Amino acid sequence: MKDIIRIEKLHKSFGEIKAVNDLTFSVKEGEFFAFLGVNGAGKSTTISMLCGQLEKDEGKIYIDGTEVDGKNDEIKRELGVVFQNSVMDKPLTVYDNLKSRAAAYGIKGKEFEKNLSEIDEKLHLQEIIKRPVGKLSGGQRRRADVARALIHNPKILILDEPTTGLDPQTRRMLWEVISELRVKRKITVLLTTHYMEEAADADYVVIMDSGKISAEGTPIELKNKYSGDFINLYNVDEEKVKILGKKYEKTSVGYKVEVEDTKTATELILKYPEIFSDYEIRKGKMDDVFLAVTGKKLIEGEKR
Amino acid sequence: MSVTCELIKRNCKLYFKDKGMFFSSMITPVILLVLYITFLAKVYRDIFMSGMPSGTEEKIINGLVGGQLFSSLMAVICITVAFCSNLITVQDKVTESIKDFLITPIKRSALAIGYYAATFICTFIVCISATGLCFIYIGATGWYMSAVDVLLIITDVFLLCMFGTALSSVVNIFLRTQGQMSAVGTIVSAGYGFICGAYMPLSQFGEGLRNTLMFLPGTYGTSVIRNHAMAGVFREMEKTGWPTEIIESIRDSVDCNIYFFGDKVDLWVSYLVVTITVFVLIGLYVLLNNKNFSAKLKNLFKKKNKVN
Repeated sequence: MKDIIRIEKLHKSFGEIKAVNDLTFSVKEGEFFAFLGVNGAGKSTTISMLCGQLEKDEGKIYIDGTEVDGKNDEIKRELGVVFQNSVMDKPLTVYDNLKSRAAAYGIKGKEFEKNLSEIDEKLHLQEIIKRPVGKLSGGQRRRADVARALIHNPKILILDEPTTGLDPQTRRMLWEVISELRVKRKITVLLTTHYMEEAADADYVVIMDSGKISAEGTPIELKNKYSGDFINLYNVDEEKVKILGKKYEKTSVGYKVEVEDTKTATELILKYPEIFSDYEIRKGKMDDVFLAVTGKKLIEGEKR
Repeated sequence: MSVTCELIKRNCKLYFKDKGMFFSSMITPVILLVLYITFLAKVYRDIFMSGMPSGTEEKIINGLVGGQLFSSLMAVICITVAFCSNLITVQDKVTESIKDFLITPIKRSALAIGYYAATFICTFIVCISATGLCFIYIGATGWYMSAVDVLLIITDVFLLCMFGTALSSVVNIFLRTQGQMSAVGTIVSAGYGFICGAYMPLSQFGEGLRNTLMFLPGTYGTSVIRNHAMAGVFREMEKTGWPTEIIESIRDSVDCNIYFFGDKVDLWVSYLVVTITVFVLIGLYVLLNNKNFSAKLKNLFKKKNKVN
């Protein structure tokens, strides 16, 4: 698969603050790529430079092989962006919003209606299409935002913290739509998020901290590298857990024992079969990876 | 071109759908109208009557008062309404809607034209409606205008709307927040009428202030529309045998005749000043919207700040 986005040695400073510092990465065509980081890590700044909204200080950005340098704006057709906060015109209807945005890509008349009906199939816009954006619920507004991002059939969909502040049901709906788009349209998805479970579903994850890449890889690679496995033990005495000689913590239903990897867990099970009458082994979560990499915990978008 | 048309449609819809913006742009004309009808009309009437021989026809006085009120009103609202309707450009920055257009391949110049044209159209619609209402008022009190006067007044309103739009476009480029937006709106609404000679004729000011205000193009705009709004009355006065000296002194007192350091400014010169200003402001607007120019300007400020 070819690189659809390539970023080389990207730098951006605001005064003394280095928002993006020597950033290099690439995104493969059709990939689901996630940017993970706390507020101020440099995710949105990178996205802004990618979209051509912000001038870069140094470095190069290529989209589909073409350098983004402010001269070839046509490359912007390849991008569809869902911003963190809806930027549609609230007094206008969803239809009017989509029409004016489509026109900015030179899409009008029958072509616009055709694109709109295609999007309508996926996002079920009929119930909201004639309503002012300002009167929509959070979930409906997000649907309208996704429709706007897709109105010109982009190759790359950029989602800048798209689920922040949304209820779980709307969040699930959004991810169903995006998963369907990935399957049917083979669209590349670049996501910035605070939510670990969203990043865990990605094909490739980049963890950013203070404008730099702290770690990158597939979720499984990251978990293997930065987080061990866990054994959840149930219906067992603490004295027996201590025999295992591993770090553990008491949970409401039993004990959580940290092990280096699955191999170690297997060895323990074989060595102490009487302790392992009721148990489960699981990989570390992205939260553990994030904590190990940055020393910070992410809870609903906040740094701890 | 169709892209720009769609943007113009979007901007106009936003203006007319945003009741707050629409009504705030109507506040200045309504306040002025009420002020004139309830208070200033009487003041002007008394001033005119005190300087005229007894037995002067009531309709002539009404024509003079009406012409002055109408021209003052239009000179102000063409600018204040333009500032209000042009707030869409600032609002797009505040709500970040502009981001949604900057990620598209649309050229900045097309965006700028979209804003300019929409502001002009909205301003012209409001101002031409106000002109219609004023014509009805003048028709009821003392109508002396010819068809040519009416056409010239519509041309003047067009030109003043162009001027207001261009001026507000340049000013609004530098505005980023709701607070700045309100501040500029208030300053313009409150202050413009004074500095363009609409609330009070320049002839009433001291020489120093009068000469200073003659450097502002808005003054010439007021004079142009006042000339056409009152031309019919002066023609009638000439026809009925009023001495030319008296007519000229009235024209001087109401700023139909304006003087640049003692030299009378011809009407065509006033037109030229306003027209050139419009072109200069549009040129500046285009330049400020140019990405490269803006970047150079920013760098210049950065360097200056570093030196400081």
